[in-house]
Amino acid sequence: MPSNEDRRQFLKVGSLAAAGGLLAGAANAQSPMDPKPMPMSDGHAGHANHSEKPHPQVPAGSDVKAEMDGFSRFKPSRGNDPDSDYYLGKLMPGFRSAAAGPAPFVAPDLEKLPWKMVRGAKEFHLVPMAVEREFLPGYKMNVYGYNGSMPGPTIEVNQGDRVRIVVTNELPEATTTHWHGFELPVQYDGSETLTQNPIEPGKSFVYEFDVHEEGTFFYHAHVPMQEAFGSVGWFIVHPRKVFDPPVDRDFGLIFQNFFIEPTQTIADSWRMDWNWHTINGRSGPYTTPLVVKHGERVRIRLLDFSPMQHHPIHLHGHTFWVTGHEGARIPKSAWIPRNTELVGIAQASNFEFIANNPGDWMFHCHMVHHMMNHMTRQVGPRIRKGVSVDRYLANYSNRPRVDATRDDPGFDTPGYPQEMKSMNMSDAMMDTIWSRREVQGMRAMWPMSIMGLMTALRVLPEDLYHKVIETDEEIPKGSIFEEIVRRFGDPSTYQSGHNRGMHGMEM
Amino acid sequence: MKRRFSKSRMLLALALTGSASLASAQRPDPGKTFVPPPPVPEAPYGLSDLDAAGPLFPHEQLGDEAYSMTPPPVVVDGSVVDNAVPQDVQAAGYTLSDFLALAAQNNPTIRQARLQISGETAKALQAGLYPNPTLMYSGEQIGLDVPGDKDSPGEFQGLIVEQRFVTAGKLHLSREKYMRRAHVTEHLAIAQQFRVCNDVRRLFYQTLAASQVLELRRELLKTAEDGAVTARELYNQGQATRPEVRRSNITLQRARLDVLTAENHYREQFRRLVSLVGVDFTVASVSGSLMPETIPLSYQEALSTLLAESPELMAARAKLAGDRVTLQRERVEWVPDIVARGGSGYNFDAKETVAVAGVSIELPVFDRNQGTIRQAQADLMRQREEIRRVELDLQQRLATTYQQYLTSLQIATEYDRVIIPEAEMAYEELLESYKDNRVDWPDVLSAQHDLFDARLTQIQQLEMVRSNEVLVRGFMLEGGLQAAQGPTPPGHIDATPKPR
Repeated sequence: MPSNEDRRQFLKVGSLAAAGGLLAGAANAQSPMDPKPMPMSDGHAGHANHSEKPHPQVPAGSDVKAEMDGFSRFKPSRGNDPDSDYYLGKLMPGFRSAAAGPAPFVAPDLEKLPWKMVRGAKEFHLVPMAVEREFLPGYKMNVYGYNGSMPGPTIEVNQGDRVRIVVTNELPEATTTHWHGFELPVQYDGSETLTQNPIEPGKSFVYEFDVHEEGTFFYHAHVPMQEAFGSVGWFIVHPRKVFDPPVDRDFGLIFQNFFIEPTQTIADSWRMDWNWHTINGRSGPYTTPLVVKHGERVRIRLLDFSPMQHHPIHLHGHTFWVTGHEGARIPKSAWIPRNTELVGIAQASNFEFIANNPGDWMFHCHMVHHMMNHMTRQVGPRIRKGVSVDRYLANYSNRPRVDATRDDPGFDTPGYPQEMKSMNMSDAMMDTIWSRREVQGMRAMWPMSIMGLMTALRVLPEDLYHKVIETDEEIPKGSIFEEIVRRFGDPSTYQSGHNRGMHGMEM
Repeated sequence: MKRRFSKSRMLLALALTGSASLASAQRPDPGKTFVPPPPVPEAPYGLSDLDAAGPLFPHEQLGDEAYSMTPPPVVVDGSVVDNAVPQDVQAAGYTLSDFLALAAQNNPTIRQARLQISGETAKALQAGLYPNPTLMYSGEQIGLDVPGDKDSPGEFQGLIVEQRFVTAGKLHLSREKYMRRAHVTEHLAIAQQFRVCNDVRRLFYQTLAASQVLELRRELLKTAEDGAVTARELYNQGQATRPEVRRSNITLQRARLDVLTAENHYREQFRRLVSLVGVDFTVASVSGSLMPETIPLSYQEALSTLLAESPELMAARAKLAGDRVTLQRERVEWVPDIVARGGSGYNFDAKETVAVAGVSIELPVFDRNQGTIRQAQADLMRQREEIRRVELDLQQRLATTYQQYLTSLQIATEYDRVIIPEAEMAYEELLESYKDNRVDWPDVLSAQHDLFDARLTQIQQLEMVRSNEVLVRGFMLEGGLQAAQGPTPPGHIDATPKPR
């Protein structure tokens, strides 16, 4: 199974001819926008027209429509009738045909678990173990997972498959693996002691069952503290009959919480509060944005595997349909359109929508304390004028005298300051965050807004998608975003992003 | 008490009402009125007057009058003991060697000890002097009738010289006895010097420690001040209550009182030190290091050095030698001196010049000095026990002192090796974490307090190390202002018209 990088390489080589000179000579990222029209590639993403704003078009080879019953896949729209099948794009198909089979499932930053056919079953080998996961660049945390990964690698099968999963315990303590949501023979349910003896360290247990379900499932250790320590992974079952309407993108995001003390790397699963938040094992802004093409139908499967916290998940700029939970696909008559979906512990929700609004959109848990890592009180030198922590660090035997003068007029207002001075990011951390193709061309200071349980949905016109994902071209900061504003927004009122450096911080 | 409490609560309520109404009167903006946190208490009297960087008593300067109590010069063995006070010593940064030099010149007990030696040598001189001859005029049988003359002036009229001849080397023994006692006083003088120097060292280290404690107390005060400011910042963000702000006031005021206490203690130590040194300084600063500079002593090393070289023990041994001579001296006391006399005169009976001669000797029939010999024997045996007593006493004192030395050395070493670096690293890591916005400032303040507090403990332990090390290395001698000791205990055989 090709990795994400292999797939990207394939796409890059396959579309070299289409690359053209898009964005060549684009304005410096943070300079005012160049009012001149941008040269467009031919045919790949539509044509430059007289209005100097290219109109998005359905790609060649697809017979779907750009607009159905008043709903447009290329611009924000609702449709003519709430009872229509195409209201809010409810049944509007993606560019991909149903005959092409299910869209590839992509869980950003996670691998898939390989299998081979053995005695009529897809045989997987799953290894519970202690793993190190880099939540943020430089922040390597000690958690539990499977096969070197937290969350574990994705098990992906088709409805009707027989699966055999050999679980070999490399943890120093007993474990079992539970196949969450499957209607399987009870002896393979993985409930410790109730249905099986625990798998002792170094020992294996073979689970084998037929999969008659379809939908969004997951596996996890059935030892509570191991669950809290990260032992979970996707188990995706594609339907025998492809879900209608077909989607172009099928993403999976696992939301988790951990408590890890400052200067500590070992998660504390005994805690009742949580200060680190991860999506597929990474924390914002190291989470990988979901990059889609303008007009595509997108499915996002979201699992809340936090130990104790529900997550109200909010998507900006779009209204999505809730089309399934971890139990089953929901009949279309019961689909619900939402902007925010509350996902409970051990629940999964499927969001489906037409990406009809280009831009970089936040996709995040709306709990205030989850929109960052490490809530810290703002008191101390950071809100005192002319004080630097470096002065304290320079001399441990003689600390600076505290100046109680607070001539900032803001202190006249009780409660000031409320703005969180967020986590200090080193240049090395920034370089790693910016080194990924998925973030190229975003506004300069975007990492300061995507924190904790947050990621971004990037809806890009095809030509910009091609440039970002399928080429190695250098893309100036802010250039993609500004191009989207130029095409779809109001460039006259747009101000480019600030340069690096955090406002109000003198640390 | 109850009444007072309710009164203060009433006042508080009034204050709150007043401030709230005042605030609302001045700032009618909704969302901008609030009850301010309790005020910071005023500093205790004296704290703000003391400048941390300047002298403790800025109005008192060293001047000529500071030395008006200089003692008069003392002559010992014909030479004048230098009494000069180094007036060029800077007011800041007296070192240990400054104080040692001053004490050697000005401590009166060192002079006393030297005078004791002179006294004993004078006694030796006196005890060995030969007895003077006696010159007598003798007129015998005055009024004797002789032929041709009735009632003559006498049978004999003339001058006689009498001389006592001392036997058995009594004078030599007496002189040797007192010379040995002078030798004892020499050891005692050395002991006295140790007493003074040890005390100077101990008081110097105690003063130095007090000075460093004062610096740390000032750092802890800064931490408490930060704590008070932080509590107010938390209060303004709704994250601290009024009682918590008040607690920060209590912590602040206690830290201020700790600074005052430390300052007072420093002055006390400095004044004790200059009293010992025997000069009259105003309080100034001292400079030096509390860290031991020599390798630690083992108990066996300390004990063997002490038993071999202790001046007290050497004095006791010298005293034993003196007591042996005393016994020898008493043993020859009964040997009769020979008293010879001779002269010439005129014999009015025979009417011619005649001579007289005589020899006398005391017959030791009854008094052979038995009692005193026995007393001297007892004294000799007593002194043997005294040596043993001193040895055991030294061991007992050493046991306690060495234990304190070793314990404090172990504690101070581990504070230096592990605890202080760990506290520093904890503080540093929390500072770095705060810089990264990962921990709250009160956590950093707590680590800062712990670091300074650990340093405080280390200084207190180093003070113990140096104080006890001085005793262990200084033959357990202390008491630099006790009068210098004499060579003999009271009641010894000295009560004769002529020392023997």
